[in-house]
Amino acid sequence: MRSTMDKNRPSAAWLDSLRQRFPCEPGVDDFLTRKLMARAGAPYSPVSLSTLVAAVESLLGAQLSTAFAVRAPRWLTGGASKLQMAFELDWQPEAGAQVTSPMVLRMQPAESIVESSRLREFQLIRALTGRVPLPPVYWVDADATHLPYPALIYGLVPGVTKPTRSQGGEVSGMGTHYGPALRGLLAPQFVRHLASIHTHDWQGQDLSAFEVPPTGHHAVLRQLNWWSRVWEEDAPGELPILTLAAQWLRANMPPVDRVSLLHGDYRCGNFLFDEAQGEITAWLDWELGHFGDRHEDLAWCTTRVWGHAEAGTGRELVCGLLYEEDFLARYEAASGLVVNPATLHYYKVLNTWKTAVMSLSTSYRIAHNSKTHQDVLVAWCLGVGAKFTEQLAETLAEVI
Amino acid sequence: MDLRAPLQLKSMIKSMSDVVLPAIDPGNRMAQEQAQLILGMMHLMALRLPLQFHYDLDELKRYLGLAQELLRQRAGGEQSDACQRALGQSSAHAADVLARAQAAPRDLESAVMDLRADISALVEALWQDGAPEARAPAARAVLAAATAQIERERAWFAPQGWDADTSTWRSIESLIDYPANPSEPTP
Repeated sequence: MRSTMDKNRPSAAWLDSLRQRFPCEPGVDDFLTRKLMARAGAPYSPVSLSTLVAAVESLLGAQLSTAFAVRAPRWLTGGASKLQMAFELDWQPEAGAQVTSPMVLRMQPAESIVESSRLREFQLIRALTGRVPLPPVYWVDADATHLPYPALIYGLVPGVTKPTRSQGGEVSGMGTHYGPALRGLLAPQFVRHLASIHTHDWQGQDLSAFEVPPTGHHAVLRQLNWWSRVWEEDAPGELPILTLAAQWLRANMPPVDRVSLLHGDYRCGNFLFDEAQGEITAWLDWELGHFGDRHEDLAWCTTRVWGHAEAGTGRELVCGLLYEEDFLARYEAASGLVVNPATLHYYKVLNTWKTAVMSLSTSYRIAHNSKTHQDVLVAWCLGVGAKFTEQLAETLAEVI
Repeated sequence: MDLRAPLQLKSMIKSMSDVVLPAIDPGNRMAQEQAQLILGMMHLMALRLPLQFHYDLDELKRYLGLAQELLRQRAGGEQSDACQRALGQSSAHAADVLARAQAAPRDLESAVMDLRADISALVEALWQDGAPEARAPAARAVLAAATAQIERERAWFAPQGWDADTSTWRSIESLIDYPANPSEPTP
């Protein structure tokens, strides 16, 4: 029977029942709970650049002891999730001379296609600084003390997400065509950086916003609960194929043999590169990062929608960069970690289920409730849901 | 299929109001005027689209009533008689259409959502306490139905351009048995 719960005005009892049914990592529970508690409140209202500049000045005033100036604010586009403002900051870093640094403010709207935590993103980037190319991350306003919504500020890194003369009509990195020359330069870095993230020793670093799971099934169950809860909170109605996938995923969880830090959205479109040098300059969008099974990131990269068929051979290129077997072999060599094909396939099912949840449920709910700065883009993304569901059905058909 | 016209219109109106209109050059009077008209047209569509089917039904009923009243009167004259016969035929057709148009679009949508919910509940229950031998056939049936539904959704959203080459895809019209109507205007 169809639920009569009004998801646009969630009751406290319903929220409690969701938290009981789908126990999540505490950091995830925090932001999902906050989202639902604010849902019946105001929709996103436009924020002007001048308002954001004043809020950034408030944040920096609380953080810096020397004079600073925020100049040349402008909107950045790209991505379907967060609102971003670029600006120039005249300031004096600790024990340094006065400099001008290009910066980016990354702020979530009232609700987001991927609900997440700016503090987790901030901590993850800090923890991996020096390990892989990252933007320097400076300040976080985790509880929206200064900004209208939680936000962080990081340094603007030069680079592009796709070739400037790209022929593809890529959205959010999907199907990026790098071409053979760039592929040859970028692919080794793509593999090496992933191996570096997965083998990173995080001990002693401030990752207090994360739960470090034990080996075994705990981390997998946390993922299933996270996205099952998102589906319950946001979906306009049930979808039997997603229910079937969720049942299969719960019945077939592979144990995690080694807990790794995961990017969570490691793919083309989420790294910047220097086009002339063919060098990756920064890995972006860490909002889905968490601890878990390396196969989750590996399966995410190999999701077919991110890649494309190679011209001439018709063979699929992982993220438009290299064949899957090459990718996995190089990863094993770079990381010293084994890739288990059955576990990889499990995470292909999990990831396509997860992307279907995001695109079919959250896109609908937040556009319906006018919760973002770009509802029209979010609603547009509902149309790609069937593409993810198609891949989910294909991967599921191989094991059912 | 959950990206329906009301949601599309709502998000377009917000984008036009919050982002596009404020960014249009105030000196470009034609662009300002047309953007306002686009916004007004979208507001009108958002308000009236849910009523459109009932409006059409109501209109059909009223014209059918008028036609029947006119048919009860003696026409007289060759041309009038011919027109009365033609009106009689179109009235019979209209009455048939009216008789068949009983379920409103929102009732259809609601019935689909009910079935989606109840099928999902059954699938979940089968994996909780159902007979293990019932799971495999249920899974195959759900997968087969999903595959057909996904083909329809992919065809429906093909104009969005998520795929570089859709030339080998079946059209949405053929997938949903949409009756060809040569007199129908194409946008």
